[in-house]
Amino acid sequence: MSALQQAPAAPTTQIKSGDRPLREVNREIREAVAAGQHVEVTEPLSRHNLAVGLTGEGKVTFRGSVGYYCGGLTAGGVIEIDGNSGWGTGEGLSAGHITVNGNAGMSVGAAMRGGTIHVRGNAGPRCGVAQKDGNIVVGGDIGYSTGFMSHGGRIICLGDSKGSVGDSLWQGSVWVAGDIEQLGIDAVAVEPPADEVVEVEELLASLGYAPAERNWKKVVAGKKLWYFEARDAKQWLMI
Amino acid sequence: MCGISGRVRYDGRHVGADIVELAAAMRHRGPDSTGFAVYGPARERGYVVRGYLADRQALDSTLQDVATLLAGQGSRLLGEPTWDASGQRHVLFRLEIDELKDLKRWVDDVESLPGTEILSLGRSLEIIKDVGDAREVDAKHGVSELQGTHALSNMRLATESLVSPIASHPFWARPFPDVCIVHNGQLTNYFSWRRRLERDGYRFMSENDSELIAVWNSVQMAAGASLRDSLTASQQELDGVFTYLLGTLDGIGMAKDRWAIKPLAAVDEADGIAIATEEQALRSLYRDEVEILNYDGPLMTETWRREGNPRGAAA
Repeated sequence: MSALQQAPAAPTTQIKSGDRPLREVNREIREAVAAGQHVEVTEPLSRHNLAVGLTGEGKVTFRGSVGYYCGGLTAGGVIEIDGNSGWGTGEGLSAGHITVNGNAGMSVGAAMRGGTIHVRGNAGPRCGVAQKDGNIVVGGDIGYSTGFMSHGGRIICLGDSKGSVGDSLWQGSVWVAGDIEQLGIDAVAVEPPADEVVEVEELLASLGYAPAERNWKKVVAGKKLWYFEARDAKQWLMI
Repeated sequence: MCGISGRVRYDGRHVGADIVELAAAMRHRGPDSTGFAVYGPARERGYVVRGYLADRQALDSTLQDVATLLAGQGSRLLGEPTWDASGQRHVLFRLEIDELKDLKRWVDDVESLPGTEILSLGRSLEIIKDVGDAREVDAKHGVSELQGTHALSNMRLATESLVSPIASHPFWARPFPDVCIVHNGQLTNYFSWRRRLERDGYRFMSENDSELIAVWNSVQMAAGASLRDSLTASQQELDGVFTYLLGTLDGIGMAKDRWAIKPLAAVDEADGIAIATEEQALRSLYRDEVEILNYDGPLMTETWRREGNPRGAAA
């Protein structure tokens, strides 16, 4: 059972963010989520660093947009953003679930090590940069250099991809159902194995996406850069 | 790391108060110094001049010298000069002057006076910049009382030059009236372009790459390029990481480099445009949920006109 399914349904506590000290707001959120409560935060006003470092199995819902690094370094619980999110949403996430009901800015899930981030709208550039594990699901389009230098995990995009997707990948993968504008350096698009497609579709179904025949392109490392030699530099347009 | 912001008010009012709020909300990006460029009602004749003098005690004699230089150009002061009452050793002064026969020559002559620098000159543009955060600079210079159509601001985290009013943004595109810049980033081909522009007769008061970007764009526009064309050309000719806002009499332009690592967000509402490095600053003016435009792609440009653009159409 996912963290999303375990989370308490109705908000039991309400916190107003507004112009209050961020440290105070975050302490209240952390305590409520750690205690398994569902806390609702009003007037987030796109502030940075909200709901960082959460643990436990509770839930926090933001009624409005949040700024940079929302849910960063979080290790549990559920975060729902009823609006947009800024750069670095869920950066360093190790467990738990983040849902962005609007669009997300640059570097969603940067260096995340586990858990799931679900963006219903579009995600900005460098989505999943240096990702180590976990899943990022984007209902709309993904920005340029998505998956840049990713070491693991999956980025799943139901829309289209901008340029340089999968640039300099290690072992992560970027799944694109729509069109790919351009592959990144040393990235290749392959047809995904059937068993992995089943996994991906099951994940999508758990997030409420109806089953469909999707034209998946799985972008992975070409592995030539893994053993880069200076004599090949021209090949990579670096000089 | 610096924070930049811009504001367009279609009603032509309270733009000073708004730009102070945008700057104050990004104090954490650079509290060393703060600068504002405000475009007030444009004159049909004469110029408004904002200046810096290093030694307040020399103010009277310097203003007399300035008046003498004006007379040499067949020009004159329009009204009495004003200056800040902050009590700091340096002083910022404001002049309104009549037409000049040779604007560039007059600027050169004024800036040859000891400790004197012209911060801005234009039909409309007024640049105010000083040490301290937005609230402190506003308290010293009354920025929030200024009315106008559009404005820019910069919150500077000093890294590679002095904490000083004259090392701060915005930079005027000397000697082009009404053009200025605020910038977040750095150029890597600054010195080669500076040498080329100096060979063409342009003079720089700082060693700041932002000043160069303002002059570079002004040269293109003086040669007939549109603002948009100049912004686009800069992305090919200027090397580095940058997001900058260029102020002109007609509005504000934006360009960012191919790596697009310097953020910018904007709100386009019926009352005007708000632009800032961080979305949370925009929310200081729009507390209710509004659509945020994120300029986070490579090689993006944008222009915002002071009287507004037709919805969905680029200027």
